[in-house]
Amino acid sequence: MGELLRIDMSDLSVTREPVPTEWHKYSGRALTDAIIYRDVPADTDPLGPANELVFSPGVLAGTNAPNGGRLSIGAKSPLTGGIKESNSGGQAAHGLARIGISALVISRMPEDPAARYMITIEADGSVKFDRVDEWAGVGNYDLAAAIKKLRPEDDRYSTITNGPAGEMLSRASGIAVSDPKGYPNRFAGRGGLGAVMGSKGVKAIVISDKGLSSVEHADKEEFVAATRRFAEGIKSHPVSGQGLPMYGTNVLMNILSEAGGLPTRNFSAGTFESADDIGGERQRDIILERGGNVSHGCQTGCVIKCSRYWVDAEGEYVTKGPEYETAWSMGADCGIKDLDQIAALDRAAGDLGLDTIEMGAALAVVMDSGKLAFGDAEGALAMLKSGLSGDGDGRLLWDGAEAIGTKLGVEHLPVVKHQAMPAYDPRSVQGIGVTYATTTQGADHTAGYTITSNILGVGGSVDPLSPEGQVVLSRNLQIATAMLDSLGLCIFVAFPVLDLPEVFTAIHEMMTAHTGEKWDAADLMQLGREVLTMERLFNEGAGFTAADDRLPGWMKTAELPPHNVVFTVTDADLDSVYDFVPETAKEMGLQ
Amino acid sequence: MKVTVALFAYLSAFQPDGLGGRAPRTFDLAEGTAIAEVIASLGLPDQPRIVFVNGRHAEETVALSEADRLAIFPPVAGG
Repeated sequence: MGELLRIDMSDLSVTREPVPTEWHKYSGRALTDAIIYRDVPADTDPLGPANELVFSPGVLAGTNAPNGGRLSIGAKSPLTGGIKESNSGGQAAHGLARIGISALVISRMPEDPAARYMITIEADGSVKFDRVDEWAGVGNYDLAAAIKKLRPEDDRYSTITNGPAGEMLSRASGIAVSDPKGYPNRFAGRGGLGAVMGSKGVKAIVISDKGLSSVEHADKEEFVAATRRFAEGIKSHPVSGQGLPMYGTNVLMNILSEAGGLPTRNFSAGTFESADDIGGERQRDIILERGGNVSHGCQTGCVIKCSRYWVDAEGEYVTKGPEYETAWSMGADCGIKDLDQIAALDRAAGDLGLDTIEMGAALAVVMDSGKLAFGDAEGALAMLKSGLSGDGDGRLLWDGAEAIGTKLGVEHLPVVKHQAMPAYDPRSVQGIGVTYATTTQGADHTAGYTITSNILGVGGSVDPLSPEGQVVLSRNLQIATAMLDSLGLCIFVAFPVLDLPEVFTAIHEMMTAHTGEKWDAADLMQLGREVLTMERLFNEGAGFTAADDRLPGWMKTAELPPHNVVFTVTDADLDSVYDFVPETAKEMGLQ
Repeated sequence: MKVTVALFAYLSAFQPDGLGGRAPRTFDLAEGTAIAEVIASLGLPDQPRIVFVNGRHAEETVALSEADRLAIFPPVAGG
């Protein structure tokens, strides 16, 4: 294990300590949770000095483990008021791991709220602070360019940056992480962690791992053999080996529309008449026509390569993806039918540092109020950018769908724990409804991605229109996801893991060979349960009750066309999802 | 009976008119034709599929009815 690097922003002091022995099995989400759970009073002000912003690579980062370089960022969320783990791709996790950092903890805050700092961690582990007040208000793309000018030409580095939205403490702001080409286009989007970064005066973190080799293994030969089996398994599965590389995540647009689960015009219907115009197939055709790249990995070591760059009619880079979540939120949910318009909204959100799921959902709520028309992409883009002025509805938009929707008096707000729902309507995809309601993260799809069985037939089949089987499905996926997030593995390895037992086996074989400690399937699932237990207990301390584990009431009465269904999983069933917490808490000595 | 058939992602290449694309085509089928028979006649690759009839998942043994919409996807996913 590496070390815990703690930076106190009130005096720029740096402390290093080894990861405590009781956390030796923790990395990624498990470690960000453990640190937040121990250090941050659950009732603290998320934008105050006692909150901490924790960055942790998984234990497999910095190695040749396929798809092992995801970054977990944790804090108390200014949006949900609960514990948050926001997960991103990009290169930063590999960099931190190679330098030997298991967790980077940013604590306290500068006395001067106008202060902006760039924190640079060099390959030898040294930490440098630069005052960069002149970068206040600079967007992520110009920021990445400015940082590049400062780095040696032959450097190998990644960036973690905060756009103006986070500096302005917006509750829908996220944190940008650079991809292998240096674009700041991977995103820890959900839950307003950009605001936490902004409250601590951190504008940028630069991580240079130039000249460093991969992290060493306890048993190199066995590790290499296990990674080979893992990679083969991922490539052999039709989803991770064929569908995702070819079309990227936005291939979901047509299938969700067919299933009647694509939230359209602020969750008023489950089918969008123009889904095909903004889906992954059309996206791929256009990018190819324009000579753009249609498959690359967001991090080195990725064998799925689901990402692509959107280019304009002249073939110039605009943004990555857009991902399905963004093509949905800025597309179907807003009644917008043009990928160039969606890409412009995506680029603007990315540059400002805003969560595209929350922003699309918020713009759709604005459209529902009548303040903008559905389909008015120009008006949406103008309103999104107007937040920069710092006041009015534009700035309130940056606090999320519930904030702007409440002010405009919109009845149908699609939020749980104050966070907007992603691209699946819970009335016609009831499994994801259970996840949205019960996950500690607020309405979140990745936390327990039941779309696998509800829609895609992966890991079995559970009818999306019925309440049957959804609790077991969501619970198992929430536990498995918490585990994968804690190993730094990309969640898309879940597709082969769910269908091919040898792929799951390869994971604990890699863990055992790398760490020198025995890991088996039961250990991995216990890790997932421990992660969720810490999160549930923190949220209890923050004042959450069963009343917060519910979908908005209107989703139990407003029928969603075309299937004309409502959410029917019972409250008692929702309250049973976390039934493992008391026993796990006892095993952990937490209660 | 008349049934509309839409094929998505790389399956769109298997539309009998050879024009590709995801637009649904109208098929004239004998009463009680099963989904599996339509799939066989299209020559779709032998791999897992996601099959919808009128927006609901359907087993391939199911017999189609007049005015049904059949939609078939290859294994796809996202997030």
